[in-house]
Amino acid sequence: MTMPYLQFNDITKTFGNLDVISPPFSLTIPHHQFMVFLGPSGCGKTTLMRMVGGLETASTGMIALQGEAIGEPDSRRGMVFQSYSSFPWLTVEENVAFGMRFRHDLTKTEKRDRAQHYLELVGLSNFAASYPNRISGGMRQRVAIARTLAAGSEILLMDEPFGALDAQRREQLQVELRRIQKEERKTIIFVTHDVEEAVYLADRIIVFSQRPASILEDIDVTAQIGDDRLLELRESPEFLKLRSSVLHTVRAALGSTQ
Amino acid sequence: MAQPGRKTSPRLLALRRPLPSWVAHGIAIATCLALLILWEITVDLGWTNPIFLPAPSTIIATMWDMSVNGNLLPNTGVSIARVAVAFALSAIMAVPIGIAMSVYRPIGAGLEPVIDFIRYLPVPALVPLSIIWFGIGEETKIFLLWLGTFFQLVLMVAQDTDRVPHEYFEIASTLGAKPLEILRLVAIRAMLPSLVDNLRITLGWCWTYLIIAEIVASNSGLGFVIWTARRFMETSQVMAGVVMIGIIGLVTDQLLRRLHKKMFGYMHS
Ligand SMILES: Nc1ncnc2c1ncn2[C@@H]1O[C@H](COP(=O)(O)OP(=O)(O)OP(=O)(O)O)[C@@H](O)[C@H]1O
Ligand SMILES: [Mg+2]
Repeated sequence: MTMPYLQFNDITKTFGNLDVISPPFSLTIPHHQFMVFLGPSGCGKTTLMRMVGGLETASTGMIALQGEAIGEPDSRRGMVFQSYSSFPWLTVEENVAFGMRFRHDLTKTEKRDRAQHYLELVGLSNFAASYPNRISGGMRQRVAIARTLAAGSEILLMDEPFGALDAQRREQLQVELRRIQKEERKTIIFVTHDVEEAVYLADRIIVFSQRPASILEDIDVTAQIGDDRLLELRESPEFLKLRSSVLHTVRAALGSTQ
Repeated sequence: MAQPGRKTSPRLLALRRPLPSWVAHGIAIATCLALLILWEITVDLGWTNPIFLPAPSTIIATMWDMSVNGNLLPNTGVSIARVAVAFALSAIMAVPIGIAMSVYRPIGAGLEPVIDFIRYLPVPALVPLSIIWFGIGEETKIFLLWLGTFFQLVLMVAQDTDRVPHEYFEIASTLGAKPLEILRLVAIRAMLPSLVDNLRITLGWCWTYLIIAEIVASNSGLGFVIWTARRFMETSQVMAGVVMIGIIGLVTDQLLRRLHKKMFGYMHS
């Protein structure tokens, strides 16, 4: 029997008297899946993701990771935000190594090697000694990704992480994130408003309705455009077709009220 | 290229135009010298009465005389020691309490009204009470300085902590940090630049309260020197004491600013 990896079980959420997630929401995310959440602003995507991180609790229902209810935040579930993503008082390398301070199962050399490995993975080896105010916004997001991986996260929770970047940097980071996710075999939940980004990155897309959030459509992206995301794919007919169909769903979501 | 029909404003008037540091220092020194010379001349020409306003040269000579033959230096030492002890006491108490007020809401809720009340009490108004409680020994002076700074500082620390982006706390917790580790490695580090700034400002206030305390309840320290000199109308000695305080203030402030730049280089790009 295979146990579902990450499971939302009948989740609802209210803030005061504001219903954010209702009716009860259920979803299963398999191991190593790149999941993208799309939906209208304010519908509850961030809230759902924060629940997985343990930064918010569900009003009813529960979220289980490999069969165990998740609780307080820990290093298995790492967050990458759009802003304030790296600590300005630490160098790039110290930022990447930050999460390993709390791991007592690694020796000093292992920690160093790990930091080097992840710096290399995100292409920042040459900036190891720089402070975040000296590098670009795109590099700061790479730092955040490397830091989360180095801490030992299995699930990356990414809330519009590339939202503040220009188009070129964004595309470059998308290519790398997709590569890293496959190489490191991580599960990712990624929130974005950019349909193109969603289709390019995702194995699967969930489109949410207006608040209170419920699933409007569950799209198997890999089944339609395959696993291999070369840049050229973005101009292929399958990609463009899928993109426009997702775009339509998102537009429909804007009009949707429960 | 200049736009036709529109005069380019002269570079000197450009807003926020950067100034090389040697020019800035030069201007600062030149201004000070000019003021001193002006002052010296007004006295020399007899425009002011030296009993009320002695010339800078007289003040410097008096300072020298008081240092060599009098007891200006020991009294300065006493004052510095009082400020140091009281300030350290304030800071050591205010930093943890201020942080706790910000991160543990019940503590903040309990302490804030009390602190806000005491904060608005003017220190001079509490001098009599302090003398009743502690007599006129060192305790009174330390108490008054502590009183004048602790309650202000603790709220500043709480505010600095409030301003640390919540994202930092959340990121650290999803990287495996426990609450005390988050406070130590993230909150304090993130607020340290503004903490050092606030400490510098508070240290300045310490001197204000010190002089009040030394005038009313002391027989040592710079406040005492100034007050005694006043009784004998020794204006140049009064001025010498005042200038001494100014010099100490200037030097510590500059040192702390340098330290700030050195410690927080990552902020200044
Ligand atoms: N801590 C909170 N207290 C009260 N209301 C909240 C809180 N957090 C979120 N909300 C509300 O819950 C709703 C969902 O917010 P959420 O941030 O999850 O939306 P989102 O889908 O991520 O939106 P966006 O796309 O704009 O980021 C919003 O109406 C928001 O105002
Ligand atoms: Mg959001």
